[in-house]
Amino acid sequence: MFIILVYDVGVKRVNKVLKKCRTYLHWVQNSVLEGDISEANYVKLKAELSKIINTKEDSVVIYKFRSPKYNSREVLGVKKGGEENIL
Amino acid sequence: MKKTIYIFSSGELKRKGNTLYFETEENKKYIPVEDVGEIMIFGEVDFNKKFLEFISVKEIILHYFNYNGYYMGSFYPREHLNSGYMILKQAEHYTDEQKRIELARRFVTGAGKNIRQVLKYYNNRDCDLEDGLSKIEELCSSIPTMQDISPLMALEGNMREQYYKCFDNICKNPDFVFEERSRRPPRNYMNTLISFGNVLMYTIVLSEIYKTHLDPRIGYLHATNFRRFTLNLDVAEIFKPIIIDRLIFSLIRKKMITKKDFDKNTEGILLKDKGKQTFIQQLDEKLKTTIKHRDIGREVSYRRLIRLELYKLAKHLMGEKEYEPFVANW
Repeated sequence: MFIILVYDVGVKRVNKVLKKCRTYLHWVQNSVLEGDISEANYVKLKAELSKIINTKEDSVVIYKFRSPKYNSREVLGVKKGGEENIL
Repeated sequence: MKKTIYIFSSGELKRKGNTLYFETEENKKYIPVEDVGEIMIFGEVDFNKKFLEFISVKEIILHYFNYNGYYMGSFYPREHLNSGYMILKQAEHYTDEQKRIELARRFVTGAGKNIRQVLKYYNNRDCDLEDGLSKIEELCSSIPTMQDISPLMALEGNMREQYYKCFDNICKNPDFVFEERSRRPPRNYMNTLISFGNVLMYTIVLSEIYKTHLDPRIGYLHATNFRRFTLNLDVAEIFKPIIIDRLIFSLIRKKMITKKDFDKNTEGILLKDKGKQTFIQQLDEKLKTTIKHRDIGREVSYRRLIRLELYKLAKHLMGEKEYEPFVANW
């Protein structure tokens, strides 16, 4: 499954959320991450994030795709991050 | 499916923020640790024990290759699937001559059938391979009569020789003539590609073995000895024709790799970094592509196919179901 995760959280928790997300997903730009993830890891990630965020103030939105086959991705301007497996 | 990370640049790999972090002079990058299955290192990379501990816990294998692209070794994390039972079964099938030759024959049969499939495909397109095909059919048919390992190995060698003779007809490119198999070091462009591809295939199968209860040290067609892992060599025989060789043909026929991608020096001929990267990129794509599997009735990737092969082997060793090698049907 391919997901895009965007977050908008209080300054205090930004770093924690970012760090957690980076262990599962590729950083794309500020507050946006994406990547392939297994069902199990998806559940894990959600559980771990909900422990970090304050549900009254923060919001995390996750877009789920069964496969990235049917959508295209365009970048205007600088490409800041994203998936690469040949470094 | 977990990804493979290939590193060509030089830099430092470390544990940072509970994930992997790769830093070079120009570039900094976090790699999601939960999404990594193995790391293949071609460049000069520094790391410390803390990093090794971390990837050990995460069950990530590290393979490293020297400057020339030869396999040098692996950091093989502590075995996390410890099955004494499976090792006993594997050894039992090795020491019993009859059981060993039976398995070895199946590996050769699988390799032969897949070779035939590849040749058939190109024969139906625009290459005249009738001659090679009939010779390989003939060799295949005498596999069941083999009673010893060494004649079986010789037969496998003959089969490959016939197969390699067909390469020139398939590629139709004077830059990539096959001549004869030469390795350590390879002495022409074609041999360089074959060697590089085979090395990658062996390490990929090794990584897959790590995820099963099988022990890579006990192989059947290739004799078990003190030096190296051998089970991955056996299993790779089946997949080399359908993955590596097909990839080489399409790379050459589509002119994605040309003679500019090679470096000639006294130590034979080597692929340049750019050539290696193109090769690996295409291989990675290939391993990710899925095919409809007849037996389980759903889409599986080539990489998954390798693991399924190992599960079949495990079942054979436990006496549940006889091992039948995977044969491509397209």
